[in-house]
Amino acid sequence: MASQALSDLRVVEYAEMVSGPMCGKMFADLGAEVIKLERPGAGDEARRHPPYPGDIPHPEKSGFFLYLNTSKKSVTLDPATPTGAAIFKKLIASADVLIENHAPGFMASIGLGYETLRTINPRLIVTSVTPFGQTGPYRDWKGTDLIEFAMSLTGYNTPTMVDDPETENPLRAPGHAAEMMGAATAAASTMMAIFQRDLTGEGQWIDAPCWQSTVNTAKIEMAAFTYLRMPFSRQRGKVAVGLEPLPCKDGFIYTLWAADAHYLALKKLLGNPPELDSELFDTLAGRQDNDDVLRRIFREHLLKHNVEFLVREGQRLGLTIGPVHTVAQAAEHPHLRTRNAFVPIDHPMAGRFDYPGALVQMTATPPAATRAPLLGEHNVVILQRIGYGIAEIQELRAAGVI
Amino acid sequence: MGRLPLEGIRVADFSWIINGPQIAQWLATMGAEVIKIESQVYIDIGRTNPAGWADRQAGVNRNGFYHALNYGKKAISLNLATPRGHELAFEIIRKSDIVLECFPAPTARRLGLTYDAVRAVKPDAVMLSVSLLGKTGLEPAEWVGWGPMACCFVGMFDAQGYPGGGPRQTGGTWPDYAIAATVVFHALAALRHRRQTGEGQWIDASMGETVIGQMPEWFMDYFMNGRDPGKIGNRDDVMAPHNTYPCKGDDTWIAIAVANQHEWDALCGAMGNPAWTRDAHFADQFSRHQNRDALDVLIGAWTRGYEHRELAATLQRAGVAAGPVLDSVELHDDPHLWEWGYWWKMDHHEVGERILPGMPVRMSGVPQLNMSHAPDLGQHNREVFGGLLGLADAEINLLIEQKVIY
Repeated sequence: MASQALSDLRVVEYAEMVSGPMCGKMFADLGAEVIKLERPGAGDEARRHPPYPGDIPHPEKSGFFLYLNTSKKSVTLDPATPTGAAIFKKLIASADVLIENHAPGFMASIGLGYETLRTINPRLIVTSVTPFGQTGPYRDWKGTDLIEFAMSLTGYNTPTMVDDPETENPLRAPGHAAEMMGAATAAASTMMAIFQRDLTGEGQWIDAPCWQSTVNTAKIEMAAFTYLRMPFSRQRGKVAVGLEPLPCKDGFIYTLWAADAHYLALKKLLGNPPELDSELFDTLAGRQDNDDVLRRIFREHLLKHNVEFLVREGQRLGLTIGPVHTVAQAAEHPHLRTRNAFVPIDHPMAGRFDYPGALVQMTATPPAATRAPLLGEHNVVILQRIGYGIAEIQELRAAGVI
Repeated sequence: MGRLPLEGIRVADFSWIINGPQIAQWLATMGAEVIKIESQVYIDIGRTNPAGWADRQAGVNRNGFYHALNYGKKAISLNLATPRGHELAFEIIRKSDIVLECFPAPTARRLGLTYDAVRAVKPDAVMLSVSLLGKTGLEPAEWVGWGPMACCFVGMFDAQGYPGGGPRQTGGTWPDYAIAATVVFHALAALRHRRQTGEGQWIDASMGETVIGQMPEWFMDYFMNGRDPGKIGNRDDVMAPHNTYPCKGDDTWIAIAVANQHEWDALCGAMGNPAWTRDAHFADQFSRHQNRDALDVLIGAWTRGYEHRELAATLQRAGVAAGPVLDSVELHDDPHLWEWGYWWKMDHHEVGERILPGMPVRMSGVPQLNMSHAPDLGQHNREVFGGLLGLADAEINLLIEQKVIY
């Protein structure tokens, strides 16, 4: 059995929904002990989000929750109560990392701000994942994934290649893309802090915002503005041509035909249609000016062929071309299956299903997900470890602290 | 100045364009010594794409695309296609902790940049290979492609669209950035494993698989219920209103998300409590969700009269989650991004002072990242070939003449 890269790290996750929990999952799947704190009774809000097997809602069966919380331990605790805060401080004393995604100022308001926590454990790394960050005019704005995504240039530019800006309003990316991007920023920078702690012996506080992480996905488009004063447009004809899913006989393909070499390869793939023998299309500028005509010709010929032929032959000709799969096609694709992009996980209440697998493949310490915890499943074992007896634990339960 | 997190770590960086450079930029700004290995033979197209040339003047050291993705690094020019060039590249690998490449598999093999070749000279290297769909597996591992093609392959663009419409594209090159921070996290975990055990490894990162991991709503529904949720536009499973709405001006929008009755009351108050808000169709969260299309039309008619940034601020003050859809000009002027510290001013000997996008994190232990401007092509040839590899000046001159250093 392969070893796990982060098995000596202990992480406390006081977070709900996507951004903080996804960051915690990344640590947990690499072997860190991640103790997830959930609200007594209700648990993580994600438990009340679909999908559920058979569409029957159940807090232990949300596929959304089960994916985001693999490999973790669950303790029910309300740190906003005095006893809860005392338990929280004991947990923090032996932790390497705290991941939290509450509104800025909330942790301090319940007496658990970074300055307090560092006096308990100076080596602690506190990672705060929030919509807009800990400083600045939007600090206290309410953010959701839709808001965070829409406010970025990537959001303005989704969907790309808009024909009618009046009817085609900006869309959010599928899922919780901005929150996921915040989670990745948080995970990467938390590892940075662990390396820095090896040098200095000290922990620190990390401010990882989802919006800035999403804004950061348009670096080159933003540079085009500061270097050429060229504002980016989402409207067709005002951005690069030759980038969009195109229908063919049995589905859609995606290809690039802007550059000369790509255009010529696509032309050849389609059997050199005579309509393309025009000097209008010989140069990039000509193709941009006549994009409408060119697209109509391409569409007409693409419809004669199936996806498999176009992709196989196109790739052979050096064309950047690929299939546009549905989620169902992707989920069954032999290439992804061969690489174990989906892995089965058993859960005592939800059952056995495939889940999206490792985010990246590693040869020596591959990410390995085990099932998500039941609500409060690890209350006794974790509280005993920090010094509580069984009788006390029962009292805490009766009082609603855990 | 304090010690940066990755002080003492060296990266042999063979990557180009977007995803690899963004990975290396994370490492470089955090203090690793990143040696970007380029050449006029395989030039990073971020240097040559005319859409990024400062003030439309051509020049390999004038490109905003390159400058935005390569600050903090060193750069050498080395022609890997020559035997001596290849040998020198592997001398650098021998002295590095991390090796990074993002070529398609056939190109990586042709250049000899495989994990087997790397570990033969540096057994404990952490090698990062980033590609469209991974470098192992079936035929797609051999394809050429770029970020959005990965979205297509794994269903993201099929899920990106208006209900009932065709597949659409997420803006920009989403998976390049999604995979960047993700690979950085796993690379540092691998480096930590090496510190503890002496063992190196290969990270074979697929943009497609990283994107799959960002879409659990779709894949878990498919695995649990055999159902593909398809295109849902901006619809949320519980929130309504939850959409983007037109504002005053051309192609100008605001996003609004209402999660509960309290926020709905606040939104109604901000709208001046028009009579339609008391319609039974919009009485509670459930009925608003059921009648969301009609609701969207009514809210859109109201938002159209307002400037998007002012309206977002007004709604936020009232306690409603709202945000303006910002274009490049507005982001560039955005007070929050400036105050928080995302934008930074670069001073560059060829293009002067420019504003560039920074890094999306602030760390109390890292008050200042390494933000040296992106290197000129071959800027660090003397330092790396002379200093790190110990070549004499005469030999370096000869290699330049022979177009090995080129």
